[in-house]
Amino acid sequence: MSVADDLTREAESAVTPVELTHERTRLPRRVWVGAAIVGAYALVAVFASVLAPHDPLAQDPIMALANPSGSHWLGTDELGRDVFSRLIYATRIDLSVGVLGALLPAIVGTFLGAIGGYFGGWRDSVIMRLADIVQAFPTYILIIALVFVLGQGIGSILVAFTLLAWVAYARLIRSEILRIRDLDYVQAARAAGLPPRRILARHVFPNVVGQTLVYLPSDIVLATLGLASLSFLGLGIPLPTAEWGAMIAAGQPFIREQWWLSTVPGLVVVGFGLGLSLIGESIEEWSQR
Amino acid sequence: MARFQFVLKRLLLTIPLLLGIVLLVFLVLKLTPGDPARQIVGLRATEAQLNEVRTQLGLNDPILTQYVRYVGRVLHGDLGYSYKSLQPVSTSIAERLPVTLWLMGFGALLAMLISIPCGIVSALRPNRAADHVIRGLGLVGLTMPSFWVGIVLILLVALPTGLFPAGGFGQTVPEHLRSIVLPAITLAISVAPIQIRSLRASLIQVRGSDYVATGRALGLTESRLMRRFVLRNAAPPTLSILALNMGFLLFGAVVIETTFALPGIGQGIVLAARGRDLPSIQGYTLLFAVLVVAVYLIADIAIAVLDPRVEIQA
Repeated sequence: MSVADDLTREAESAVTPVELTHERTRLPRRVWVGAAIVGAYALVAVFASVLAPHDPLAQDPIMALANPSGSHWLGTDELGRDVFSRLIYATRIDLSVGVLGALLPAIVGTFLGAIGGYFGGWRDSVIMRLADIVQAFPTYILIIALVFVLGQGIGSILVAFTLLAWVAYARLIRSEILRIRDLDYVQAARAAGLPPRRILARHVFPNVVGQTLVYLPSDIVLATLGLASLSFLGLGIPLPTAEWGAMIAAGQPFIREQWWLSTVPGLVVVGFGLGLSLIGESIEEWSQR
Repeated sequence: MARFQFVLKRLLLTIPLLLGIVLLVFLVLKLTPGDPARQIVGLRATEAQLNEVRTQLGLNDPILTQYVRYVGRVLHGDLGYSYKSLQPVSTSIAERLPVTLWLMGFGALLAMLISIPCGIVSALRPNRAADHVIRGLGLVGLTMPSFWVGIVLILLVALPTGLFPAGGFGQTVPEHLRSIVLPAITLAISVAPIQIRSLRASLIQVRGSDYVATGRALGLTESRLMRRFVLRNAAPPTLSILALNMGFLLFGAVVIETTFALPGIGQGIVLAARGRDLPSIQGYTLLFAVLVVAVYLIADIAIAVLDPRVEIQA
């Protein structure tokens, strides 16, 4: 896999010559559009109980599959629950699992990559061989298997994401650390007799940790899409909790008559993803300058 | 000769990787709550009866012995029996695999038909209007859940026109072909943005290299440069990215098969997971992992053939 990896990295780190000539240190303006979108979603998640006109779990069989109206803006689902309120409450679940699902692997991966890269030796070998095996697996297939072992629920989804997604961060941080491990200032710290742990924590680590943050926004998108996909497959958040992917799945049988049941939650997912991608792309471009 | 050595080394490296994968899948069985022996004897059985069944199943042997025995069974193509259908897992895999291969083959082909022209147009004039449009669409494409794209296609294409079924795989070959069209388009839409992005990056990098500048200085036309030098040198990294995206493509297949009710291995693993059918989950996980390892291997060998520099690294 080494050849493929090297070539990929080579291709992905390519920067347009045109882009290099622009010496700008300011973030592109798009980032604020993205921040506004993501901020709006975050507000909806925080104030879900204030914004939602109905209880997201309250069933009303007589009102099942009602068309949009003044009291039910997006109509009701097959159990008569208010779709608009469910969408609002789902924002809570999807955002928190998305953020945690990206943050936890980033923390674990950064930590392991730093240890492997700085100390080398058997620690590095163990960590990198583990990474090879994890990477050989089709990630989401293994997530299905892991959720199977751990049981459904937010906890096991987060554990599964962490066990599998740390690899990219570990590789990234490891290569960054290998680059600066032998720079003059680190050697000076070593010559001054500082213990290795302190050099790593105080002098090396702070200089590489920024790399982790660059890829965090796009990984939040991936984690959110991952959660939505698992729930769509019926393997994610257990019912009756409102979740975007599960809502899309629940609406699919009624696509002919109540087409909005499936399509609107999808648009909500796309909106969130676009907002975050605008932020992520801007930071990535900016960090390469 | 060096290239041959690289391929051989790469093949040998696959063996420990496969053993590691089988180990991981084996551990999934061990870690899953529930005692298989207890499931067989029932809750009323005595401790002695339970122990007898455990011995029969080999569950009292050291874990290493159990692992070696499992590897042996897998090598003989024995993946156990499904808890649900009571059929051998290998039989249901054999029935379902062709559907998925059709879907992935069609999907990958369509994805290339979209991404190669788009990537070239984008890279020829970076940061111009066409590039911005392609990258913007790519960004939207990356954030759309593939199952949602599938449902939208059913709503906008399958239902109004009636040309394609909204789900299922049909009985005859023409029916198979018709039912694979929309799923393949869905798969292509979810994979093409990633491919366009990497193709664009590698084309731009190659176009900025010294030998292209030299070629231009010697008076080669842009189209000749593109055909003879740029595309050729951009092919290996694009190929490797395509290979590395196999896992993603496979998961796309899982989700899309569920959306369109296609009876492939993706639907198989989802049904097994929902039904808590342990032997099936194990078999499918193993199958998916082996598929990915095989694709990486083929891609690495193809790159070694295309790119003479690989010799040096080997």
